[in-house]
Amino acid sequence: MSMTPRERVLAAMRMEKLDRPPVAVFTQSATIGQMDALGVSWPDAHSDAKLMAKLGAGQATVLGFEAVRSAFCLTAEAERLGCKVDPGKKNSTPMLKEHPFKFDPMESVYDEPNIMDPEEFIKGGRPAVVIEATRLMAEQYGKEYAVIAGNTGPFTLAGHMVSTENLVFGIIMEPDEVVKWVDAVTPVLKTYSQALADAGADIIQMSEPSSSTDLLSPDMFGDYSGRFVKECLAGTKGAYSILHICGDTSAILDGMIDTSVTGLSIEEKVDSAEAVKHVNGRVPLVGNIGVVKPLLQGTPEECAADAKRVAAAGFNVVAPGCGLSAMIPNENLMAVVKAVKG
Amino acid sequence: MSAEIDALIDIVITGKIKEAKGATQKCLDAGISAKDIVFDALSKAMEVVGEKYAAKEYFLPQVLLSANTLYQGLNLVLPLLAGEGAESKGTVVIGVVEGDVHDIGKNIVKAMLTGLGLTMHDMGKDVPIKDMLQKAKDEKANIIAESTLMTPTLAGMKDMENFLKEEGLKGKIFTMVGGGATSKEFADQIGADGWTYDAVEASHFAAKLLGI
Ligand code: B12
Repeated sequence: MSMTPRERVLAAMRMEKLDRPPVAVFTQSATIGQMDALGVSWPDAHSDAKLMAKLGAGQATVLGFEAVRSAFCLTAEAERLGCKVDPGKKNSTPMLKEHPFKFDPMESVYDEPNIMDPEEFIKGGRPAVVIEATRLMAEQYGKEYAVIAGNTGPFTLAGHMVSTENLVFGIIMEPDEVVKWVDAVTPVLKTYSQALADAGADIIQMSEPSSSTDLLSPDMFGDYSGRFVKECLAGTKGAYSILHICGDTSAILDGMIDTSVTGLSIEEKVDSAEAVKHVNGRVPLVGNIGVVKPLLQGTPEECAADAKRVAAAGFNVVAPGCGLSAMIPNENLMAVVKAVKG
Repeated sequence: MSAEIDALIDIVITGKIKEAKGATQKCLDAGISAKDIVFDALSKAMEVVGEKYAAKEYFLPQVLLSANTLYQGLNLVLPLLAGEGAESKGTVVIGVVEGDVHDIGKNIVKAMLTGLGLTMHDMGKDVPIKDMLQKAKDEKANIIAESTLMTPTLAGMKDMENFLKEEGLKGKIFTMVGGGATSKEFADQIGADGWTYDAVEASHFAAKLLGI
């Protein structure tokens, strides 16, 4: 079958029958190996659209994956909304330094969410950089490769603004205040997702790590995260959407599907075959090669074997189960590509 | 065990946060010592909470609620412990290593160790290893407890072992490591004194280490 990598990835989004699944990194994709090969590195690439486009394309141009992806962190939106961020180093992602709003369930003190106008939000700061990088990537690589744009989910972003722990604690102490905050950040994410699609992204990949079952019980997912994810993405025109959640998502797969995103990205804590069986063709699955074992700590042979295992289980896109650690060696990633592409 | 203690245990486990102070006061009024309140009620209750969390019967919000309920009682009795002449069972410096902001697990470990009657110095998250070590020296700590959930930051834990060796403090200040990125093998490899899977085990381990 002669198809471009882009056609293959998009066909996988529609769950079309393929001779083999595409192989692509849907979550954070940059590594030291790509930085060295391209002469572009963190932290510069977080805030310069040209550098972001070049490094974000590295998974395809350096390693042979079948997509390119903009944004390398989950702090761009929070920074735009007033969080202080340490840009990190070549091998470490940006970090939030503080939460600008008070949300204290013990003292019952809750700041009012005072969130920027969505149109204003996408005009400046790093969201504007990511939008521009996405536009450049679509222009330079979009014929050949699927263009993925990554952003942050609403419960996670609200946690960035007020402290994740306090937000989670708030679910028991003052659920209305939690809902108020998640609701308040939703409009900017909705507008941002559409702006990324308009810039040329084929796929919006939203990461929502803070609604992992490590933090929320499965029955809390819909009320505090899922329905807002839906609000952010369901109306997005011109792009597919993929929801990524870390941890063991077995118990919330249905809730994730209920957000009406196109597909799900899940990590290695979920048994691959079980996930395929449970999802049963309702949506495409992206994942779930282990990021630490084998990608970071294993051998190329182990990485290849894990990629084959995921493909055999029936995942629609063979991909790392979560964002790449920058230290993952080229050989391991190339072994994954080779195992799938042959 | 007395009815007052049982009531307090139940309050912490079920997270009846507003009733915790009153129930602790009732224990004191019934003549129960601060020490017994800490060990027979608060500490025991938190252990049950940890077990429920491990069994996925409780999720994080409930654990945070119980931990905060525990602190309500603890704040009342901790000042009395000194008066009773009950010495602190030991001193712990705890923190999340530099480069990592994941601090929820660390906070739960802190709650468990506090429940054990240890004096805790919480350095927060993203803490330079040298700062943690300095604090441990300043406070004459028995244990340094380090947490990280991220692989790149594991290196900091190894640095800690090296610094301790260089300064001849290895074996004088114990180290405990934990958090998602760590493992028993990793802890053995760097020479840390202890590793545990979760916060309940962490408190058992600390108790053993300090002979409590
Ligand atoms: C919530 C979360 C976040 C929140 C954190 C909020 C907070 N204040 O903590 C936010 C959204 C901010 C976040 C950010 C990021 N995250 Co995050 N996050 C998670 C998540 C989903 C859950 C972590 C959690 O709180 N678990 C619940 C607690 C209770 O469990 P625990 O910490 O393990 O603690 C228990 C035990 O480990 C033990 N324990 C803990 N500490 C200690 C210490 C001692 C001494 C002992 C004995 C025991 C012990 O006891 C605890 C209780 O039983 C995990 C995924 C996962 N499944 O773990 C990813 C995860 C940790 N995150 C990850 C990543 C990559 C990131 C980001 C880089 C993402 C990005 N690209 O921006 C940033 C990191 C920024 C930075 N530099 O730190 C990766 C780390 C990968 C790796 N191995 O390196 C994970 C594993 C997800 C994944 N699968 O890739 N994250």
